[in-house]
Amino acid sequence: MDPEFRGDTDHHDGTSDATPGGYVEKRRPGELGFALFLTAASLFLLYSAYGISGFEALSAPGAIPMATTFVMVVAAVIVTVRTSRLPMVTSETLSKDILPGMVILFAAFLILFGLLLKPLGFVPTAALFLTVAIKVLARKGWGYTLAVALGSLIAIWIVFRVVFTVLLPSGIVPEAEFIQFFRTVLSGGAN
Amino acid sequence: MDTFLSIFTIFAQPELLLLVGIGTFAGIYIGAIPGLSVTMAVSILISFTFSWDVLPAISLMVGIYMGGVYGGSRTAILLNIPGAPSAIATAMDGYPMAKKGEAGQAIGVTTVMSFFGGLVGILVLAVAAPYVSDFALTFQPRDYMLLAVLGILLVGSLSSGSLVKGIFAGALGIAIGAVGRDPLTFTERFTFDFQIMEGGISFIAVMIGMFGVSEALLQLQNVGMKAVRQKIDKIVPSFGTVKKYLPLSLQTSSIGVIIGALPGTGGDIAALMAYDHAKRVTKDPEVPFGEGAMEGLVAPETANNAAVGGAFIPMMTLGIPGDAVTAIMIGALFIHGLNPGPMLMIDQPDMFWFIVGALLTANVFMLIFGLTGIKIFTKIVEMPRSIIIPLILLLSIVGAYAVNNSLTDVYWMLGFGVFGYFMRHYGYPLGPVILGVILSRLLDDNWRRAIISEREDLGRFFEGILTSPLSLILFTAVILIFVSQTPLWTSMKKSLFRKAKS
Repeated sequence: MDPEFRGDTDHHDGTSDATPGGYVEKRRPGELGFALFLTAASLFLLYSAYGISGFEALSAPGAIPMATTFVMVVAAVIVTVRTSRLPMVTSETLSKDILPGMVILFAAFLILFGLLLKPLGFVPTAALFLTVAIKVLARKGWGYTLAVALGSLIAIWIVFRVVFTVLLPSGIVPEAEFIQFFRTVLSGGAN
Repeated sequence: MDTFLSIFTIFAQPELLLLVGIGTFAGIYIGAIPGLSVTMAVSILISFTFSWDVLPAISLMVGIYMGGVYGGSRTAILLNIPGAPSAIATAMDGYPMAKKGEAGQAIGVTTVMSFFGGLVGILVLAVAAPYVSDFALTFQPRDYMLLAVLGILLVGSLSSGSLVKGIFAGALGIAIGAVGRDPLTFTERFTFDFQIMEGGISFIAVMIGMFGVSEALLQLQNVGMKAVRQKIDKIVPSFGTVKKYLPLSLQTSSIGVIIGALPGTGGDIAALMAYDHAKRVTKDPEVPFGEGAMEGLVAPETANNAAVGGAFIPMMTLGIPGDAVTAIMIGALFIHGLNPGPMLMIDQPDMFWFIVGALLTANVFMLIFGLTGIKIFTKIVEMPRSIIIPLILLLSIVGAYAVNNSLTDVYWMLGFGVFGYFMRHYGYPLGPVILGVILSRLLDDNWRRAIISEREDLGRFFEGILTSPLSLILFTAVILIFVSQTPLWTSMKKSLFRKAKS
């Protein structure tokens, strides 16, 4: 079997882990920069690994970290050298194919989600995220966006919060009181 | 005999049967929806089921795994979008069939053949695992260490054209697994004096980030892709059709089991290798490969489902995952206080037989659900990506948070998600990273045990390898895999080939 066989010609984006992305004989935009970043990070990690216990003993706590980070450095250097020798892919650009505005926007949304999760609580943050994300991606009216976003959120909340009893940050929403109210209603006020 | 009867536990407890059914049903849809992978689903699910009893949790996961591996073929045939990596090869002949209006026939055959492949995989698991487990008891610490290295190297070499990127990914995984306090000496490793890093990095956060978030970010580039509507009618294949392809499916099931059993590989590679095998052995297909050859559907579909049973062999007997999903399931067993490996088969053989029973049941459910409900199915898979992607991201966040009720895990997940996104774009396989994280402890502990028992003498350590047949086989395998991926080996092979030809 051809080792470079990828199943089809379009899956150069790493859709499958068995057929990782990239081109075999060409360099994608930003690929060399990523390889250089990995080399620098590996060198830093090797230095940190040396700091754990140095060359104290073969069974020292730093032995495996040093060995693995050394392997990382060697591999990263080989990848960098190989990548630097490859010609660039002419049909792709960094802003269009690797890091389009939509990916940057969603990465920002995710960071904001993480920052707001605790102070605001899961329900309002998730509602905000789903509404904005669906509005941006689907480009449909507010009625559709709100119906889909809030409908999905209610389904997720019932499954995870009520059925699986996963504790999510409540923030500004009095979730516990809300659940208790419904329990009381459903039990006919028996409590 | 009593432990063997655990295979029927699932029927004694209706709720377990229900969970396997729900899992298989959900798995088929998760596997079918592009952008939702089985690995992602199981990794998210583990964070919600860790407070459950072990049997219900395993039942649900086994169902999702079995259904998900099969489900990818549906969208591959109907939309030319493989719902799961293991269905890439299926799309090559399945979609041309759908274009000719033969989608129903294609789905029917893939369902029956997936069932057949799954059955072969499970039977091999049931027969071989106890022997492998007995054998594993003779393993020395150095053998486990070599096995861990072998697993990471195998996944690095088989999953990608670039071994060096696979090795980098595997080493990165081991380094991530080493973060935190060393369990033996309590020394801090890669914590950079941050208190939050002392407990290490949750492998679930790494997994959800790498597979879930990175996949969702990749899918952002295909938001506009529209589903093609299909007319689906008679899908149950005739007995004659099944009989005709049975010999090929037996061969490709064997490929599936073997590839599935190799640590770190899985259904995607098994399916591609089986497709390649079918192309080589089918001398005169009715329709050329790539234009709707039935053999091109039968081969990958039997292989990827057979790989499920195969993947459980190293997981249950050695504690080494067969693929990314079994890696997560090992985590699930750990969470439930079980220790996958040879001792699990001795201490809790009923658990092994329970899993075999759950797999068999899931396989039957897969056949039933696969041949029915096709109309509802086509509606669900036509769900726009503009809704699916935000939902995946939201579920990933909920999943990462739920493990330890910690925002730190959410940040790790997001970080690894973005990092995994770039890795995918530039051809670094993600499988070795996850395998590295999972095997880090096994490698570290056994290396230290092995070298301490040899009084810190490397010479004695290598002497031990050379004098033990098992260690020698494992060591030779490690060297062979490494050498076989180097340019030196390729040029040697080419010159040998030229000589033989001349």
